[in-house]
Amino acid sequence: MAATVASRCSRLGRSLFGGLRNSFPGLLTTSHELTCSNFLSQQQQRTFIQMRTVLKVVDNSGAKKVMCIQALKGKKGARLGDTIIASVKEAHPNGKVKKGKVVYGVVVRAAMQKGRCDGSEVKFDDNAVVLVDKQGQPIGTRVFGPVPHELRQKKHVKILTLAGHIA
Amino acid sequence: MRLEKCWFCSSTVYPGHGIQFVRNDAKIFRFCRSKCHKNFKMKRNPRKVKWTKAYRRVHGKDMTQDSTFEFERKRNRPERYDRNLAENVLKAIPKIDKIRVSREEQHHRNRMKGKRQKQHREAARELKQSISLVKAPSVFQQDQSLTLPKIVVSVSQQQSENRMEE
Repeated sequence: MAATVASRCSRLGRSLFGGLRNSFPGLLTTSHELTCSNFLSQQQQRTFIQMRTVLKVVDNSGAKKVMCIQALKGKKGARLGDTIIASVKEAHPNGKVKKGKVVYGVVVRAAMQKGRCDGSEVKFDDNAVVLVDKQGQPIGTRVFGPVPHELRQKKHVKILTLAGHIA
Repeated sequence: MRLEKCWFCSSTVYPGHGIQFVRNDAKIFRFCRSKCHKNFKMKRNPRKVKWTKAYRRVHGKDMTQDSTFEFERKRNRPERYDRNLAENVLKAIPKIDKIRVSREEQHHRNRMKGKRQKQHREAARELKQSISLVKAPSVFQQDQSLTLPKIVVSVSQQQSENRMEE
């Protein structure tokens, strides 16, 4: 995404300062790089996991990326610990789950903050999911990265026991 | 209930306050309020932001090494409850607190020791250098008592040599 923004900026610069560019090219490029980095340093507003959200799969089920097609709970979308229905967009060549299949998943990491039982909040680096079957049993046998302890209230104890770090 | 320290300003995070951010390598960053969280998102270094505890420690503003800090320690094993111990601890807390506060005051006094003399020196210099803002130079020519006594400095041929080089 960064690359596309940078290229767009440079294209705009070329059209605006086309005549001037020949005279002092070094100065112009530096100023443009500065404006681009300032724009990117502001973090984007994080929202719910909704239809068309692409999530990372953090287990060894074989899928790499899934796209959310339905949140099973909530009007606006799914949050940390909720279950979603997703379609597999990228998969390893010889895994259990194949590309194009419709799967269930539990959101184990969400970049949008979620309130905890004591009133504080927790947020993660990215949006990640662990694939489960309809009964809620995980398809893979390992879970990578940190998972929140709220999964215990959601009755996903199996995921918690497989995970290495619990936050 | 565990009271954690804020990652940015090192203040205590009480239960139900603030936000915590979990990085993908499972490191947890706790923040006491949105101010600290925003500063973290701006990638500021707490050692370079003046109001944080880390800055004050690095720059010698606060007392850093003291035996009173040894009492507050993070333990990963829960302590077995002992009624007598709890009673003694509750008695000791205000006493230790008092000692710590008095030592911190002492540290602050030591740090501020030369301040009065410094202020005097600065005031004298200010008077000497910019008295012309208050009184015009022509007034001093009339009344010699208003100026500070002139200091005689021996300057030999150096000036003339410099002029030659230029």
